[in-house]
Amino acid sequence: MTSASAAPVGPGKTPPVTGDERLVHRSLARRSLARPEFGAIVGALAVFVFFSVVADSFLQTSSMSTVLNASSTIGIMAVPVALLMIGGEFDLSAGVMVTSAALVTSMFSYQMTANVWLGITVSLLVTLALGFFNGFMLTRTGLPSFIITLGTFLMLTGLNLGFTRLISDSVSTKSIADMDGFSSAHDLFASQFEIGSVKIQVTVLWWLGLVTLATWVLLRTRAGNWIFAVGGGADAARAVGVPVARTKIGLYMGVALCAWISGQHLLFNFDVVQSGEGVGNEFLYIIAAVIGGCLMTGGYGSAIGSAVGAFIFGMTSKGIVYAQWNPDWFKFFLGGMLLLATLVNAWVRRRAEASA
Amino acid sequence: MVAPEPPTPPPDSPNPPTADASTTAEGPGGPPLLLMDGIVKTFPGVRALDGVDLEVAAGEVHCLLGQNGAGKSTLIKVLAGAHRPDAGTIHWRGEPVTLASPIAAMRLGIATIYQELDLVDGLSVAENVFLGHEFATVGVLHPGRAQAATAELLARLGHPEISPSRPLGELPAAAKQVVSMARALSHDVRLIVMDEPSAVLDHDEVDNLFRIVSDLTADGVSVVYISHRLEEIRRIGDRVTVLKDGRTAARGLPARTTPTRDVVALMTGRSVEYVFPERPEAQAQPAGEPVLRVEGLAREGEFAPVDLDVHPGEIVGLAGLVGSGRTEILETIYGARRPTAGRVLVDGRPLRPGSVQAAVRAGLGLAPEERKTQGLLMLESVTRNVSLSCLNRFSRAGWLDSRREREAARARTRELSLHPDDPDRPVRTLSGGNQQKAVLARWLLRGCRVLLLDEPTRGVDVGARAELYAVIRRLADEGLAVLLVSSEVPEVLGLADRVLVLREGRTVHQGPATELDEHRVLDLVMEGSPS
Repeated sequence: MTSASAAPVGPGKTPPVTGDERLVHRSLARRSLARPEFGAIVGALAVFVFFSVVADSFLQTSSMSTVLNASSTIGIMAVPVALLMIGGEFDLSAGVMVTSAALVTSMFSYQMTANVWLGITVSLLVTLALGFFNGFMLTRTGLPSFIITLGTFLMLTGLNLGFTRLISDSVSTKSIADMDGFSSAHDLFASQFEIGSVKIQVTVLWWLGLVTLATWVLLRTRAGNWIFAVGGGADAARAVGVPVARTKIGLYMGVALCAWISGQHLLFNFDVVQSGEGVGNEFLYIIAAVIGGCLMTGGYGSAIGSAVGAFIFGMTSKGIVYAQWNPDWFKFFLGGMLLLATLVNAWVRRRAEASA
Repeated sequence: MVAPEPPTPPPDSPNPPTADASTTAEGPGGPPLLLMDGIVKTFPGVRALDGVDLEVAAGEVHCLLGQNGAGKSTLIKVLAGAHRPDAGTIHWRGEPVTLASPIAAMRLGIATIYQELDLVDGLSVAENVFLGHEFATVGVLHPGRAQAATAELLARLGHPEISPSRPLGELPAAAKQVVSMARALSHDVRLIVMDEPSAVLDHDEVDNLFRIVSDLTADGVSVVYISHRLEEIRRIGDRVTVLKDGRTAARGLPARTTPTRDVVALMTGRSVEYVFPERPEAQAQPAGEPVLRVEGLAREGEFAPVDLDVHPGEIVGLAGLVGSGRTEILETIYGARRPTAGRVLVDGRPLRPGSVQAAVRAGLGLAPEERKTQGLLMLESVTRNVSLSCLNRFSRAGWLDSRREREAARARTRELSLHPDDPDRPVRTLSGGNQQKAVLARWLLRGCRVLLLDEPTRGVDVGARAELYAVIRRLADEGLAVLLVSSEVPEVLGLADRVLVLREGRTVHQGPATELDEHRVLDLVMEGSPS
């Protein structure tokens, strides 16, 4: 606010050069400091250095690939959850929706003895419908997304178990490994490839692709503008004609789309799905987004930040193993990391604003 | 400022005489740009607009004046398409239109710059300017074109130094307003509504704003300009429409030549004479020690050092417009805000600054302006609302003695003749005046000695006000010290013994109420001392 009197230039007066510079040029350092993901990158470096020191095998390339693979499964979902959070909303049903997507593919294909690709397509439609339902209920009822998606979360948890038990008479689905189309679907969603001697999961590619796409959408498309606007000032957005309801429904369908991708990975990584899986994962996605610099209040954040957040998650979960600590403590470290990252982000933001 | 008695218009007549002037003020070339006729808008419990007329000619600066609550904000929201009127017609360039949504208003060429700037901090300057009508091909933005167009608009507005790519959140308030104006101009705009645009600007920037306004009108764009500052209206305004209590008190007055007193009289003209209780024998210097003493109390950016004493049995009034610091002073005395200088003494003992608890313990009680949200539990009973401040008095070992609670509360509400006399009734169902009595009863029960009243008659029916005034006077007579804040000048003058007049955070006058009249006070609050 310091430039209130210094910057503006009256008409007819020649603008003083110093006043100009204040508003136009900012050093690279200051600009990167103001990026949402800055705090997360600092945090990621700290975690990296920490585990490099305490765990001997952490720096081996094979360990790094394990970390990347673990990060990618969370990261794929953290991307749309971050976008949704920038748009000012939550989705607590994201975790179980992944399982639902996997169950639909598996059970449809098995029951209909159809090509698994048909099951995959049906699953896509069902999952997108779930996302649409979340967004539609939210914009129609005006209830907080916390309540709406908590409801969807519970309903999906029940449906997952109920349908699985009803159809296959057990808590997991039957194997679809010998069905038509399984191997090609496996290749797309759950294969591994080698770079040198390092095995990388295909999910890492999905993850990087989604981060790139989401970053492009946020920064270079009209939809991206709208996402920031509905999260940062829904009334202002509505007043200038931004389709607030459509944007929010779209964001929920984005979560659903990624839940579908994740769900197919879950299924094709093996050939069966446990109906109780996914519960609690929604918080991991939110944690990754928040560590990555998204504000819980909306209007601020980045897709790259969510990727860094997911990477921190991956490093922590695997780093504990490499350090040969008791993994029982993992959640404790994760919680501490979340608090620390949020504090660092808030501090960085204040500094960035103060120096602006 | 020697002028004849102002022409007080017959307040309730639907067609004040001054309104006739407007019918001749239409542009020579056909219908006016905008004609709003008999606009009515009601919200639950409030008739915000009760038949407002507004007529704006092409290329003019039309000023909208009115006290707070007169309906200005509601009217411009109707004009912006944010509220739909319940009744009335709107003609735009001679054609009847409905402003069904903000987009509909924008398509016609109506842009609104609100007082609370509605921009998105997370987007850049250019993204804000073109939000909702982006340069895009199948959804993919052309940031370069948006930035170039924004730079052009900003240059036209005299602010080429604002970078279009800068995140908006980093800009100072004045620059944000320029961005808001650039957004208005990014449309093909015929009418711009500016809601107190000068409020966030300093002196040089106001000049720039006026230059922009005259550039716009030279291009044939009309401006509806809302401001409390009469001198601004004199400088740039062409015509003035005055709103009062949701109605048009006068339309189309010439902005430069209408005497201030006439404008003020139109803004304040009363439909009902208030009945004030008789004052006790006015004393020039009240005897005895003051129970409340305020010494050099100040909050940076809100109000300058203020000194005042309130004696037992005395009512002291603070008069001023919104933004004059009156509520802030009251809340700082009460400890809800921490002062940056000065102190508050009760019975000669200084209070811990910034502590409501200390203030209440010392015997202060506040009846806040926003009674329904800050003062009362609307769903709870009268009894519970009254006993709230001293529940522990009615509890034994953690259990509440409801019977004693009820009786004690009832004794107080009867004392104030709260109606209906039913302690179990939810406060929500009471009228405004009786709700206020419930708040007062609470402080009486608590045994409070200094009452701070912020707009005590806001939302109270005119008929019920006299009764409330009598109650307040009686409480003072019984030895309470009362500090009263009101935007209604007659209320301060009629009720208080002594009056402080505030203008933009400064005390511009202090003295006995009997030495002031309404016009003198309005002169003081609006234009400073006329000397």
